[in-house]
Amino acid sequence: MNDDAVPPRRLDDPHVLLSILDNLPTSIFVKDEDLKFVYSNDLHCKMIGKPENLLLGKCDADFYPEAEASGFLAHDQEVISSGRENCSEEFASNDSGMSLPVLTRKSRLLAPDGKTYLIGTNTDLTEIKKREDQYKALSETVPIGVIQIDEDGTISFSNPLANAYCGGDGANEARQEMIERIQSQHPEFPGKACKFETEIWALGVPRRNVIAISSGWLWIGRAQRSAIVSIVDVSEMTELRRINDDVSRLNRDLADNMKRLKEAQDELVKKGRMEQLGQLTATVAHELRNPLGAVRTSAFLLERKIKGKGLDVEAQIERINKGIVRCDNIITQLLDFSRNKQLNCHPENLDSWLGTVLEEEAKKLPAALAITCDLGLDGRLIPFDPSRLQRALVNLISNASEALVGQGDDPSKFATAEPVISVTTRLETDGVIIEVKDNGPGMAPEVLSRIREPLFTTKSFGTGLGVPAIEQIALQHGGRLDVTSVLGEGACFAIWLPLEGQSTDAVAA
Amino acid sequence: MSRKLNILVVDDDTANADSLAELFSMDDHRVIVAYDGQQAVEAFSAHRFDVGFFDVMMPKKNGVESFIEIKNGFPDARIYFMTGYSADDLLDRAVKGGALGVFSKPVDLSRLLETVEREAA
Repeated sequence: MNDDAVPPRRLDDPHVLLSILDNLPTSIFVKDEDLKFVYSNDLHCKMIGKPENLLLGKCDADFYPEAEASGFLAHDQEVISSGRENCSEEFASNDSGMSLPVLTRKSRLLAPDGKTYLIGTNTDLTEIKKREDQYKALSETVPIGVIQIDEDGTISFSNPLANAYCGGDGANEARQEMIERIQSQHPEFPGKACKFETEIWALGVPRRNVIAISSGWLWIGRAQRSAIVSIVDVSEMTELRRINDDVSRLNRDLADNMKRLKEAQDELVKKGRMEQLGQLTATVAHELRNPLGAVRTSAFLLERKIKGKGLDVEAQIERINKGIVRCDNIITQLLDFSRNKQLNCHPENLDSWLGTVLEEEAKKLPAALAITCDLGLDGRLIPFDPSRLQRALVNLISNASEALVGQGDDPSKFATAEPVISVTTRLETDGVIIEVKDNGPGMAPEVLSRIREPLFTTKSFGTGLGVPAIEQIALQHGGRLDVTSVLGEGACFAIWLPLEGQSTDAVAA
Repeated sequence: MSRKLNILVVDDDTANADSLAELFSMDDHRVIVAYDGQQAVEAFSAHRFDVGFFDVMMPKKNGVESFIEIKNGFPDARIYFMTGYSADDLLDRAVKGGALGVFSKPVDLSRLLETVEREAA
């Protein structure tokens, strides 16, 4: 049944076949063994510029210039004799004399009629060539070195700039060397897509900083993979960056110097101000102390003159005298705070000196107050300025006393039932500590943090220079004042003095 | 009973000078007052003094200058300083120069009177 089936239709009508060949967008020709045209499709006729009937039986030499024709002939003969296909780029002149680039493929056909033919096609390469020229111009003018490296390591393309970078007139050896040098530092290069900055150099070529970019292995229409490597010279940018870095560093240095200068200036201003303040205070102190002296002496004379006359003015005179003492204390505090003159230090047995001072002070303290001593310097000699340190101690003790019992006349106002001031000395590695501690009300953190500020006071009277003056005296000795306190648990003022005397005229804030 | 002294009080602050003079006079000492350093030098060449109390900062001739001049003429002169500036700063130099002591102003009067009594003893 199936034997009767109609086989699929096959194009076998020669007219149809010829018509197909004529309309193919490729030029086709056939030559006989003598290399004379036996067939030419329309496009081939058009290329040569002759109709088929004028072509048949003719050879290339009849249409092409001699040089072109002899080239064609050589290829034709080679194909006919060897049977190997030939594919060459050639130039073929058209009928108007223009030479066109063509790709010509030729092969030998042993036909069923027993004859040997040469069959060929031509492809017009004009457009492709034009594009190729564009690419060539581009690759030659682009300010980037471009190298194509095949997977086997051969360099299949490099543009002139890349050659220049490699030196050696673009010789393959020089280019290989360059690639290997880059590879030794960047093993992933060029097989993996990568981008890095590196330095390249070659014989007779200046060193340059470049950014190397590799596409990694890609199929680029070839039998093996290759990588496209771009080399961008950034030497100038590197130079700019270096200059920029230099400028930044200079700027930083300048800023640092400005800062130091400002600090030094501030220090000078502060010192200058303190010196001014010192002079001002000294002058004011002098001007105040003279009339105070006159007042004190006059009060004393008055007291004597009215003694035993029953005028009942003892309390008033007492008030005058207390006022004078208070004024004098304020002046002394001011002087201690603002003074920047050298200390008058002598090594002395600090503990025994302290014992004497405390004994004197204890007499002046309200009776309700106890003072305890724990002196632990073991007769050690310490250099210090006795009159200034004495004022610091007297100040500390009078502050503690005031915190504990106020004026000492009203037990209901005492901070505690058993007010105690304890004075301790002890030796440290390179200094001594004199500690004055009370079991009074202590200070809130916000008071503690401001206690060293000049003019800061929690009292309704007072200069706010007491603690700063004490600190100043400690600093003048090359020491320091540490203040600790817990609200409700008393306060501790510790003067630290160096074992090695250090008289300083440094001014502290 | 201690002897009565010839005392020179030198101070350009007249209130100070006069009140101190009155204080010493109350104890029957003979007191002469000078209101500047020049007057002090002149007083010393005119009179004999057992003891002198000199202010430091004064016009014309200050206390230290007049002290040096007087000490040159009268090496045995017994002189104390009184200063409204810090006594600490003056004390060492004054004592080295032959002064007997320094009083800070306002002067502690019991200390001052003790000193006079000691001089009179």
